[in-house]
Amino acid sequence: MTRGASSRHHAERLLRCYPRAWRERYGEEFVELLVEDFADRPRWSGRTCNVVASGLLARISGAGLTGAALDAPDQARATLAALIGSLAMFLALGIAMWSQLTIGWQWSAPDTPGTTIAVIAMSVVVVIFAVLAVCAAGPVIWTVARAFLHKNAGGLGRPSLLVGVGLAVVIVGSRHFGNGWPGTGGHPWSHQGMVPGGVAAFSWAATLSITSYWMHPSALLAFPRTEVVWMLSSPLAMGMAVVGSAKLVRRVQFSARVLRIEILLGRVAALAMSLFLVAAGLWTLKGGPGPRGLFDTGSIDRFALVAMAVALVVAVHSLRRARSGRRTQLAH
Amino acid sequence: MTPVARNRETAETGADAAAALGTFGRYAGPATLILSSLADGAKHGYALTKDIEKFAGIRLAPGTLYEALSRLEGQKLIEAVPSDDRKRPYKLTAGGAVALREHLNAQRQMADVGLGRLARSWATS
Repeated sequence: MTRGASSRHHAERLLRCYPRAWRERYGEEFVELLVEDFADRPRWSGRTCNVVASGLLARISGAGLTGAALDAPDQARATLAALIGSLAMFLALGIAMWSQLTIGWQWSAPDTPGTTIAVIAMSVVVVIFAVLAVCAAGPVIWTVARAFLHKNAGGLGRPSLLVGVGLAVVIVGSRHFGNGWPGTGGHPWSHQGMVPGGVAAFSWAATLSITSYWMHPSALLAFPRTEVVWMLSSPLAMGMAVVGSAKLVRRVQFSARVLRIEILLGRVAALAMSLFLVAAGLWTLKGGPGPRGLFDTGSIDRFALVAMAVALVVAVHSLRRARSGRRTQLAH
Repeated sequence: MTPVARNRETAETGADAAAALGTFGRYAGPATLILSSLADGAKHGYALTKDIEKFAGIRLAPGTLYEALSRLEGQKLIEAVPSDDRKRPYKLTAGGAVALREHLNAQRQMADVGLGRLARSWATS
């Protein structure tokens, strides 16, 4: 391979740091610039770092989180996509934590006010999340269905398929593994928990992959093989649903009214995230291990708290960007 | 559109554009260099890099150059010139010209104040 061809190959590889829309717009000319820069400064090591950092920034900007201001509808769609991502991370970790506590309550009620208040507050917030999810999904499903009916659904097929398959796998798999675990759905004391046994079991099974057992492979190998396969495949299925949903909201042409409603629901969701985080923090700090260590906290719970806080910050930041985008449009 | 109306529109666009340049944060420097380079005619990425290096002594890294270019284009301060070449040139828009002038005037005022104070207080040292 000649030096010129090698430079072009390297430039094209670097271009992959940027999001697809950016590559389509600037890719060709950017590669030309990189090739000439390689020729001018063949030994400059800062170029790769600069391009990788800029590519990352372009990806974050494309998600509406920073950088150049998008127009108001595009910013609102970017905010919704960022909200879906941050909420998915928050809920996966939060539900894993909550299901562990609610299952513990089926065995024995907590013996400290900290844990009791935390579990009740978290359960209320989970109900709020469920109501918000239904309210938010309704207009999106309606808009996507209308786009398909009017044969105006270009680019929506694959994301819809991702969402459908991802959700189907999560629901069917969680039902299967939730029912199969003797400590939850079929538990003789499932009536004495504050959350229905089936709901607790489903939540536990859906978030089975969030566990510290990954740090103890020998213990993990003792698990039934199908369960380990589920622990590996369920995050992929959730990822499919999240990526598909984010792509859908970026591509669907929502009306201004629907966008306003979705952003409003996003704000309520951010408030709910804050409440959940406070409750989880209360359990971590003031809960205590409880009877038979049922409510004990571990490193994974502290890690989850930090990750949930990061998710909340991202959600709030993206909502602020949506507001500033709207203000910019009103000013013009 | 009458010439008067055209000028008025340009002025309004420029005022908005000047405000937009203030939101560039750490890209305000590269953006000013790019606008200054395009002030004497359209240039593609590599030509911009060499020109800026010549008049400012700064070599903009490729990622930084294109980050600033995409923001400037998004704010309609510059626009791509149609070209069959893979190296697409960019030119200054009317709004970009007004924004650059206002930005440089503001910088000149600051430079004048600083130089004046230096002349008064540090002339003998």
